[in-house]
Amino acid sequence: MPETSLLPVRQVLLIAYMTGVLWLRRNPMSLVFTAISPFSLLFVLFVVSGGQYIHFAVAGSLVMALVGYGLALGQDISFYKTEYKVQDVFVASPVSPLTYMVGLALSELLFGLPALLVLATLVVYFGSVFSIPLLVATILLIWGAMSALGFFLSSHMLHMRNATQVISFVNVILAVLPPVFYSMDVMPDVLRPLAYAVPTTHASLMLQDIMGIPTPADWSLEFGFAIQIAYLLAFITLAKTKALWREN
Amino acid sequence: MLAIDAIGVTKVYRSASQPAIKDISLRVEAGKIFTLLGRNGAGKTTFVRMCATQLLPTSGTISVLGYDAVRQAKHVRDLISIVPQEGRPLRALTPWDHVYNWLQIRGDSKSAARDKTEVMLRKLEIYGARDSPAMNLSGGMKQKILVAMAMATDAQLLFLDEPTIGLDPVSRRQVWTAIKDWKSKGGSILLTTHYMDEAEMLSDYIVIIDKGMIIAQGTIQELRKVIPQNIRVDIARDTLDVDTLKSYGSVVDTGAGMLRIFTFESAVRELSDLALRHNLSFTVSSVTLDDVFVYIMGNGIIDDQNARD
Ligand SMILES: Nc1ncnc2c1ncn2[C@@H]1O[C@H](COP(=O)(O)OP(=O)(O)OP(=O)(O)O)[C@@H](O)[C@H]1O
Ligand SMILES: [Mg+2]
Repeated sequence: MPETSLLPVRQVLLIAYMTGVLWLRRNPMSLVFTAISPFSLLFVLFVVSGGQYIHFAVAGSLVMALVGYGLALGQDISFYKTEYKVQDVFVASPVSPLTYMVGLALSELLFGLPALLVLATLVVYFGSVFSIPLLVATILLIWGAMSALGFFLSSHMLHMRNATQVISFVNVILAVLPPVFYSMDVMPDVLRPLAYAVPTTHASLMLQDIMGIPTPADWSLEFGFAIQIAYLLAFITLAKTKALWREN
Repeated sequence: MLAIDAIGVTKVYRSASQPAIKDISLRVEAGKIFTLLGRNGAGKTTFVRMCATQLLPTSGTISVLGYDAVRQAKHVRDLISIVPQEGRPLRALTPWDHVYNWLQIRGDSKSAARDKTEVMLRKLEIYGARDSPAMNLSGGMKQKILVAMAMATDAQLLFLDEPTIGLDPVSRRQVWTAIKDWKSKGGSILLTTHYMDEAEMLSDYIVIIDKGMIIAQGTIQELRKVIPQNIRVDIARDTLDVDTLKSYGSVVDTGAGMLRIFTFESAVRELSDLALRHNLSFTVSSVTLDDVFVYIMGNGIIDDQNARD
C-alpha cells in the first residue's frame, strides 16, 4: 500500500491516465479535432477586424476553450454515469467524488493541451515571459472553477437531450454575453456590475492585462483574483455537496 | 459478524408513487453467498445499491460490515467492491488497462496489481484478449472485464448484480469458480441473478422479493419445501386430460405445449405408463429452485391443490 496521504494524488493521475492518456493513445485523431475547435472564433475575429482585434480574440478564445473543457467534463461525467455505470463502480469504492472529478478534469485538460499551448504561447508573445506565472494561475483558476461547475451540472445533463441545451446556455452566460471576447469599455455602465459578477470576465481581463491591453480603471488584478477564487471555492462546494454522487 | 444488517429499509424514488423497497429487514452473514431473487422490477438492484452506498434509503438503517451505510459510507466504501447491473467497460481500454489500473486506484502497488490482474484475467479466461480494446471484444467478454475489476480487489464484501448476464455456459462456470474462490478466502457476497441454476449452485441463503417485499427466504433445502412434492414430471400436453394429471399432484403449464406435474416417487410409474400409452415424451427429475421460484410467483399453476398427499 502506498502512503495513504498520497493515494488521492495517485488516484487522480491514474484516472486521468485511464480516461485521457490511454484514450488518446488509441484515438490520436480526436486530439486534432479538439485542438482545432477553439480557433474558429479567433480566426473569424482576426479576419473581420483585419488583425486589429487579435488580443481580445486570443483572450476570449482561451477563456471559451476552458469553459468548454469544463462543460465537456460535465457531459463526460454524465455519460460515464448513465452509459457505462463507471461512476457506480467509483462511488462504491474508496475514491472520493472530488478525486474522481479532478482526475477526469485533468484528462479533459490533456485533450485541450495542444490548443491551450498555442493560445497561451500567443498570450506570452503579445505579453512577456515574466507573465507566465500569472497566465498559468489564470488558466488554473478558471479550469478548476469550470470543472467543478461541469461536475455539478453533470447531474442535470443525465439525459443527453437536455445536455446540449444546458451546455449552450451556460456557454452563452459565461463566454458569449460577458466581455470575454470584447472590451469592458463597450459595456454600458449599468451592466458593468453584472459583467463583474461573472468569473470569466475577470479571466479575460487578466489575459488582456498580461497582453498589455489597458484594463478598466475600476478593475484590478487583486479584484480579479478575489472574484475568481471565490467562484472556484463556491463551485467546488457546489460540486462536493450538490453533484450527484450517492443518489437519493 | 454480519456483512449486512438491514433493518426496516424502505425506498421511495422521488419520481415514483409506490415504494421500490418496502420495509425490508434482512441479515447477511459474513463469509457467505447471499442471493436476492425476484422478477424484473422487484427491487433487487435498488436494495443492492442502497447497501453499496450508491443510493440513499428513504427510511430504515443499513449496516455494512459494522458501519452505517449512510453516515459512515467512507468506511464502507473501503471494504466493498461491485459489479453494477448493465455496466460497460470503457471502449478504448483493454481488459488489462481496466483491471490493472483499477487495482492501483484502490491502493495496490504496481507489482501487486500486476500479479492480481494476471491471476484474475486467467481465471476468467480473458488473458488472451488482455490487450484488445473493449470495443473489439464480444458482449460477454466486456461483462467479464467488469467482473474481473470487482473480483481482483481484496474487498471484504462483493456486490454482484446479475454478474453472469450474457455469458456462455463455460464462462458462467468460470465466474462461479471465481465466486467460490472469493468465498473460500473468507469474503462475503450479495448476488442477484435470474439464473436459478446459478443461485442453486452458489447460494448459502436466498431471499425472494416481490414488489419490494420479502416473500420467501431460506436455504435451498428450506425453499424446496415450499413445493410439497419432491419430483417433477414433464409431459407434452397434446391430448392429455389435465384433470387426470391433477390427480397426481400440482400441474403447471410451462408453456411451449408442455405440462409439469409436481408429484412423488410413488406416482412416477403410473405417469410414465400414461405417457407411454399416449406415445408422449416425458422427463422425470427432482424439483429445482426454478420450480420453487415459479411456484412462489404463482404463475402458470393450473391447480395447486394436492390431490394425492
Ligand atoms: N431511478 C429510478 N427512479 C424511479 N424509479 C426507479 C428507479 N430505478 C428503479 N426504479 C423502479 O423501482 C422498482 C425496482 O427496480 P429495480 O431496478 O430495483 O428492480 P430489479 O429487481 O433490479 O429488476 P431487474 O431484475 O429487471 O433488474 C421498479 O419499479 C423500477 O421501475
Ligand atoms: Mg436489477
